[in-house]
Amino acid sequence: MTQRGGGGGGGYVERAPGGGSSSLADVVALILDKGLVIDVFVRVSLVGIEILTIDARIVVASVDTYLRFAEATNRLDLYEKGGKDLPGLVQGITEGGAKGKTTGVLEAAAEKVNDILANSREQRSEEPRRRPVRQRVRESEE
Amino acid sequence: MNLLEAESPTYIYGLIKADTVLPDGLTGLGPSGQVSTIVHGRVAAVVSDVPLDRPLGMRADLVAHEGVLDTLAARGAVVPMRFPAVVEEHAVVDELLAPNQDHFVELLDSLEGRAQFTLTGRYEQDAVLREVLVGDEEIRALREKIRELPEDASYYDRVRLGELVVHALEQRREGEGAVIVEKLEPFAEAAVSNQLGAPDEVVNVAFLVERDRQEEFENAVEGVGEELVGRVRLRLLGPVAPYDFVPEG
Repeated sequence: MTQRGGGGGGGYVERAPGGGSSSLADVVALILDKGLVIDVFVRVSLVGIEILTIDARIVVASVDTYLRFAEATNRLDLYEKGGKDLPGLVQGITEGGAKGKTTGVLEAAAEKVNDILANSREQRSEEPRRRPVRQRVRESEE
Repeated sequence: MNLLEAESPTYIYGLIKADTVLPDGLTGLGPSGQVSTIVHGRVAAVVSDVPLDRPLGMRADLVAHEGVLDTLAARGAVVPMRFPAVVEEHAVVDELLAPNQDHFVELLDSLEGRAQFTLTGRYEQDAVLREVLVGDEEIRALREKIRELPEDASYYDRVRLGELVVHALEQRREGEGAVIVEKLEPFAEAAVSNQLGAPDEVVNVAFLVERDRQEEFENAVEGVGEELVGRVRLRLLGPVAPYDFVPEG
C-alpha cells in the first residue's frame, strides 16, 4: 500500500498511509515498544501472555553487511568504465576515524531483548491464568 | 459495553476522550471483532475481547492494533497503549482510568488536533557509494587491490572494504539526517528520532504535526525530497496515531 505523490506534492516522496493498511514492516516499526505502559499506572494482573519482540529496525552490522557493501562498491567499476568518472563529486565529504558503531548497535539489540524478557518475567510473576506462550514477531520484508 | 463480560480478559488499544464517538468499521483483534469503550468520567478506554486460544502477536493482531488507533486518531486525540495491553478482567480497566483521569485528560489535550508522520530515508546506494569512493583514498586503494586479487584471496580485504564503507556511510548520514530534521522541524510541534538500522538508512524521525498544518508539512517534506532526489529516497508514513509521542512511564 504505497503510492507515489499524494498530499498535493510533486511525487518526490513515497507515501504510505496508516490505518492498518501498512506493511508488516511499517506496523512493527510503528507500534512495537511504543505507547503507554499500563503497569506503570496501576497494579494489573496481566493475562499470562508473553510476547518476545525482536526490533526489526535493529540491524547488526555483520560480516555479511560488510561484504554486501564491498560488493556494491566494487560494482561501481562499471560506471567508471562507461566513462562516467568520479571527479566533481568531492564537495562536502567528511572523513575521519571510523568509530565503531557496531558495538553500540549490538548492545542496543541485547538491551532490547533483555528488556522484553524482563518485562515478560514480571508479567508472568503476576499470577498468570494462562500458560505463558512465547511469541516472536518478525519482520517479513527485507 | 455489553459484549464484554465483567470478568473476561480485555484488550486495551488506547485512551480517548469520553465524548469522542467511536467511528464505524473498527475491527478488533478479538473473536467478536468488535470494539467498544469503557468510560470513566472524561476519559474512555478503547477495548475489545481478546483471543484466548492462541498467543497474541500475530500479524493480524498488530495490524488490528494499529488500524483501530489510526482510525481513531483521524477523529480526535488518542493515546496509544503499548502493544499488547491485556488486562485480566474488564473491571481492571476502571482501576486504570480512575486514579489517572486528570493525567490522561492532560495527555489527550496535548495531542488534540495533531497527528504523527514518520519520515524514513535511504541513500540511493550507487550515488552515495561513489561519493564515498571519491572522498576516501584508503577505500579507493583497497578496492584497487581487491580487483587484482582472485576472489578467494581477497576475502579479508573485502570485509575490510565493506567495513570502511559502512562506517563512512554511518558518518555521513549523521550530518545529513540532522539537516533533514532541521528543515522540517519548523512545520511540526515535536520530533522524535528513531534508531537507524541498515547503514544506508539516513533518517528515521517521527513528527507530531498540527492537522491544520498537515499540507504545509507534507509540502515541506516534498521539497526536501526534491532537493535530495538522486541521493536519498524519502518515504513518509502517516497520518498515524501519535505512537512516538506518548511519554515514557
